[in-house]
Amino acid sequence: MDLFMNSAVCLLERAAEKFCNKTAFEDMDSKLSFTELRARSRALASGILSRVKTGREYPIIIHLPKSVDSIVAFMGVLYTGSPYAPVEYTIAPVRMETITANLKPSMIITDAEGKESLSKLALDTEIAVLEELTGGSDDAAVNDALYKVCDLDGAYIMHTSGSTGVPKGVTISNRGVIDYASWIKAAFDINENDIIGLNSPFHFDNSIFDVYTTLYTGAKTLIIPEKLFMYPDKLMEYVAEKEVSVIFWVPTVMISVANSGALDAVELPKLKNILFAGEVMPCKQLNIWRKKLPDSAYTNLYGPTETNVCTYYKVDREFSDSDSLPIGKACENMRVLILNEDNKRCGIGEPGELCISTSGRSLEYWNAPDISSRVFVQNPLNTKYHDKIYRTGDLVYEAEDGNIMFMGRRDNQIKLRGNRIELGDLENAAAQLDGVLSACALFDKVRQEIVLFVETDKEIAPRKYRMSLWDFVPGYMVPARVVTMAKFPHTASGKIDRVGLRKAYIEGDS
Amino acid sequence: MEDIKNTLRAFIIDKFEIGDDPDFADDVHLFNEGFVDSFGAVEIIHFVEEHYGIKITQRDITLYPMNTVDEISEVVYEKIS
Repeated sequence: MDLFMNSAVCLLERAAEKFCNKTAFEDMDSKLSFTELRARSRALASGILSRVKTGREYPIIIHLPKSVDSIVAFMGVLYTGSPYAPVEYTIAPVRMETITANLKPSMIITDAEGKESLSKLALDTEIAVLEELTGGSDDAAVNDALYKVCDLDGAYIMHTSGSTGVPKGVTISNRGVIDYASWIKAAFDINENDIIGLNSPFHFDNSIFDVYTTLYTGAKTLIIPEKLFMYPDKLMEYVAEKEVSVIFWVPTVMISVANSGALDAVELPKLKNILFAGEVMPCKQLNIWRKKLPDSAYTNLYGPTETNVCTYYKVDREFSDSDSLPIGKACENMRVLILNEDNKRCGIGEPGELCISTSGRSLEYWNAPDISSRVFVQNPLNTKYHDKIYRTGDLVYEAEDGNIMFMGRRDNQIKLRGNRIELGDLENAAAQLDGVLSACALFDKVRQEIVLFVETDKEIAPRKYRMSLWDFVPGYMVPARVVTMAKFPHTASGKIDRVGLRKAYIEGDS
Repeated sequence: MEDIKNTLRAFIIDKFEIGDDPDFADDVHLFNEGFVDSFGAVEIIHFVEEHYGIKITQRDITLYPMNTVDEISEVVYEKIS
């Protein structure tokens, strides 16, 4: 009898039958087979079910280091019918409190060290240690909870930075996850003999690719130690030694590997499938990869957290270093619209906003109907029935050959290592710091880093501002450089002279 | 061992313009405390590899903490002795 696919965790149920004792996930310290993962996740689910309310309205926050334990936690929560919400292990206290207040989770699952640090915060929910939740497995209770899941229920919630400073909880349905995994299986040549080298942290939706590709295809996901991403040459040494065959990395990492010359020092005969998404991949660095590994398949994926991957382009021709890589065409079972300012469909070559229509991927933002209603709207081209589209805020145009070309943002949002950042958020956070009179954040496109300017009358070392910011914003928003000054330059109208600051400290310096 | 620390400390202070910051010490976390950014990590490893003619492998990076002058010196010391 075939298994009914009402929950994303059914992919694990199926994989455990099919791939049994084959390794599914491996980190530095341990590995888990499909059977072990299923058993541990069911045991965890039993523990959760016996303690708290579960189901689609009761999310559970996962606060764990990047390890196979995180996967156990995700699957365990899915078995209960609750959505899981991964947050960074180094999460800023204010961000943790804000997210928890909005989600009102049934519990937070963490480790002993995490429990100690989280206990100091105002969280008003149960904080449980993973090991302590895992006892005997009550399969009847788990099966009953799983039976009650409907594929439109949320599977996971990922948080992005919001322009108001309140993180938005993007909620993705079980249907969305299953649909995405089956698309990956159909679009790429990945099977149980593959080894996927995981780059992204679990609170970043790129990692959904690795986790669910493993569950769908039987390929192993190898969780690459975070530290290695600081050392491109050692990273590639590791990829070669571990015989990684599939990578789905952010362009920032692809670029630093290419620029460091790390590809020249290793042989990578196994690395066959190279995918990237999260920000623009420059052709200059892509060409360095293609020259070194001409037989590998390269794919540029595009998709905001709200819909996950929605367009893709399999690199099928030569590009010069200065060309822009297309983001391609809509994924199967996805519809992409390019709308102009009058909500009319754009013609070939005409710039417009990329909008996405999809069966079940996004359930909008958790507990935020007002913000949701601004970007999840009725498809203006369909007057016949309820048909929501997501407005990405990304400007694109369709080229002659039908491929979509990315142009930029409609707003001030920037992308850094795949993370969406509103510079205004960072300025607001910096303004709260001791000694800061005024703050201004600028993005250095060449160096791909944020520079924070601080107006202050105190003698405080710039790096101290960087450290203090860790308490307020996610690590990826902490500026690479801080420049302090007694007085900001101002324009004639009295605004901070951002152009002047950029000229003096960013462009003049590179 | 002391020689290695002295050499490494001098390199880091000079390269990352630390000057006479009183918070800087051999056991201070270079990255968490903001003395060195993530790009600087590569420069430190390249420096010790070239200066001492050794190779720091991906295993060294994953197995040992290498976040302080003390910790990095320890790995270098093991390699050259």
